[in-house]
Amino acid sequence: MLYFIEDTINGILMGSIYGLTALGLTIIFGVLKVINFAHGSLLMVGMYVAYWAVTLSGMHPYLALVIVIPAMFLFGYLLQDIVIKPIFKAEKDVREPVTVIIVTTGIWYILDNLALLIFGPQYRSIQDNPLRGKMFEVGEMLISAPKFWGFVIAIATAATVYYFFQYTRLGRAIRATSLDRDAASLAGINQYKIYNIAFGIGTAVSGIAAITLIPFYNTFPTVGVSFDIKGFIIVVLGGLGSIGGAIVGGIIIGLIESVGPQFMTATWTEAIVYGLFLLVLFVKPSGLFGEKNDW
Amino acid sequence: MTGNETLAPSDNPSGGSAGRSSLMGSKTADQGFSPRKKIEGLSLLAVLLIAFGLPLVMTSPTYLHIVILIYFYAYLTSSWNMVGGFAGVLPLGHAVFIGTGAYTSTILSLQYGVSPWIGMLVGGVLSMGIGVLIGLPTFKMRGAYFALATIAFAEGMRVMVENLDYLGPFNLNGPRGLQIPPLDFGFVNFMFKGKEPYYYIILIMLIGVLALTWIISRSKLGYYLNAGGEEPEAAMALGVNVARAKLIAMAMSSFLTALAGTFYAQFSLFIHPKSIISLDLSFEIAFIALIGGRGSIAGPLLGALLLRPVSDFSRIYFGDVFPGLHLVIFGVILILVMIYQPRGIQEPLTRFYYRMLDRLTKKEQTKEGA
Amino acid sequence: MKILEVEKMVMRFGGLTAVDSLDLSIDEGEILGLIGPNGAGKSTAFNCIAGVHPPTEGTIKFNGENTHNQRPWDLCKKGLARTFQIVKPFASKSVLYNVTVGAFATTDKRAEAEEKALAVLKALNFENKKDLKSGALTIADRKRLEIARALATNPKLLLLDEVMAGLRPGEVDELVEIIQGLRRSGVTIFVIEHIMRAIMALSDRIVVIQFGKKIAEGTPGEIASNENVIKAYLGEEYGTA
Repeated sequence: MLYFIEDTINGILMGSIYGLTALGLTIIFGVLKVINFAHGSLLMVGMYVAYWAVTLSGMHPYLALVIVIPAMFLFGYLLQDIVIKPIFKAEKDVREPVTVIIVTTGIWYILDNLALLIFGPQYRSIQDNPLRGKMFEVGEMLISAPKFWGFVIAIATAATVYYFFQYTRLGRAIRATSLDRDAASLAGINQYKIYNIAFGIGTAVSGIAAITLIPFYNTFPTVGVSFDIKGFIIVVLGGLGSIGGAIVGGIIIGLIESVGPQFMTATWTEAIVYGLFLLVLFVKPSGLFGEKNDW
Repeated sequence: MTGNETLAPSDNPSGGSAGRSSLMGSKTADQGFSPRKKIEGLSLLAVLLIAFGLPLVMTSPTYLHIVILIYFYAYLTSSWNMVGGFAGVLPLGHAVFIGTGAYTSTILSLQYGVSPWIGMLVGGVLSMGIGVLIGLPTFKMRGAYFALATIAFAEGMRVMVENLDYLGPFNLNGPRGLQIPPLDFGFVNFMFKGKEPYYYIILIMLIGVLALTWIISRSKLGYYLNAGGEEPEAAMALGVNVARAKLIAMAMSSFLTALAGTFYAQFSLFIHPKSIISLDLSFEIAFIALIGGRGSIAGPLLGALLLRPVSDFSRIYFGDVFPGLHLVIFGVILILVMIYQPRGIQEPLTRFYYRMLDRLTKKEQTKEGA
Repeated sequence: MKILEVEKMVMRFGGLTAVDSLDLSIDEGEILGLIGPNGAGKSTAFNCIAGVHPPTEGTIKFNGENTHNQRPWDLCKKGLARTFQIVKPFASKSVLYNVTVGAFATTDKRAEAEEKALAVLKALNFENKKDLKSGALTIADRKRLEIARALATNPKLLLLDEVMAGLRPGEVDELVEIIQGLRRSGVTIFVIEHIMRAIMALSDRIVVIQFGKKIAEGTPGEIASNENVIKAYLGEEYGTA
């Protein structure tokens, strides 16, 4: 029973971090209506930025946020502005920019392999890591400290992002653009600038997710791939474009992964995740929190 | 010849527009037996002759192997194109159909001695079922869902095959994959000593799929797919059941893709979940299609002709140092093509071809007039 | 014989009632106009009738048959065609291709469909533009393409949603003539329009809605002098026009 509770807690903590890694994906989709397949690669870039920031300066991993957030925002902003925007423009008549989707997979391959070229295939973990293996003892249970802090950061980030989109002027302008591109441009909102900003925010959030990961996760060129597929499943589960949905979807996946192995072999938990994904697609495709009209 | 001569003068000024409309499948180009048609027919005949005669000239098995793979990818991409091109959606998990085809025919032949040719059809039908299963819930939704569902399905399938030694009575052999012992050579066993038979089989498959694509693009289904892909609401109001048209396209595409899976299994005599049901393969097909020209007939073939050599040579020369190089090159080409030629490289090439045709037609006509 | 009967139709989106207990009917061969201020629920009513979304309450009968749960493509094949207020051409395709898609509603053969499409284009004086890419057309031609595509499906009832908005006066007159010609050829027409001059000239009868409710119904003359309508909608504008 104690193990069960411990697994449940760890599942929720790790799941919220999964949710955080998927948050950028859902933000970008919510505004651009494009699945960013390079999403896992952005997380990978964030992890390298964080890794080098911490390794070179010796600062506390969480303090690296002050470097990672602006660096990743800029990276995302420029990526959208330089690479993706011209393709949007070339396809502006098209209702669903399929080409843009496939181009993000091109970016995925380029980024992952550039990382391989520059940093080599080795797994890197932070030396002098103040959080390594640190546990909170709660009664007889052991709770991983970096995962606990990751949970806190995930909830705080989701709340901030939600507040930003609901209550700030810029956030509302971004949402207006996502609802109706033409109307927004009539109202004097520069659609492409909004896309740049949204992409920047989504990338910065992936940077935050990277920060929560580096204290207990290795950094390597293809680290994004497993988070990629997981991210897709999470956002569909929670509802594409829904901020709260991403976190809840992440927690569901986290719970299946941590509690599942008590009842079956680990590989079958992976199969259950895919099964659940397909079940949601069949039964409630808009996900748990998705808007119904947004088909 | 007389009919041709009377037509020729009036045909002359409109030669250009007739060519363009024949691209769109208009009827106007079908009038009579114009010199233009003759040249088009001749060039097609020349291409076919070269294709069928190639093994007589190209005796190096290494090069023949490369050409076989070009055809193989062109075939896969053309099959993909039926749903990814015409229907305007983005399937990113076609490897699942390749895997289904390869595993079905291989298991049937290894365990039950069934000819791979029959296994090929069984795999095709099975794969069609999977394709419909993916399309059924997702074709009613925004395209992103379909793309995600195809990826998740392919990855789920790979995980399953990698972790299962047995699926019911069928031996999948888990991550080790399946090996086909090269014992009984012959047509019935779909197993040959040289590369030439494989060359002709995949060539005929490719011609078949290209012809089918051409027929579809000129049929009601083709019109409905294009309409539904571009403006679904308008298409529905014009009597198009968009989801059903896409489902039919998906069924055909998944069936045809599975056939290529069997071909691959018999060609390489070894199948392995990591390589045959991989995301890389699924993405590579989509890349070739987009670079070549999505929704066009020639696009997949041109894409494969351009990209396969890039992929093969980068693997041969840089494979050890830089295994992912060909995908980086693909990525860069993809982005550049999408920015400067969003309809793929087929568009400037087709334009060039028609300009040449115009010039030749004019020459022919002055010759005939004199 | 009534070709369309709408009874007590209600359409709600969440808390918003877009159409409220609307009754209307169209006789075969008639031209019925539907007018109302912006956001009155006109296009929503069209969408319900065309099968885009089933109404929350009420019944719709087309040709005496209840259309509940019939999808747009089913209704199209039964003879109900519509145009869209925001034009939706298949932009990368030629005009002929666009119209042929519509003509396929009546046949499975491409040659026949194309022949039918050409006939429609001819009837609309549009044949000279058949090979143009539809995405490159002017607004007036795009509107005409909407009508051509809808006509190619061989409709008994044609719903026209603001096909004249954004056209120049000369173009409006030409379209009015075309629509009158369609009626003479036996098509019943239900038209939403903002251009008063056009709708007054075209319609046999006009229904006026406001906030989703019918506030008046009658001949153009009756509507023009109806005080409710003048107050709610026409205002000074019509008086001076």
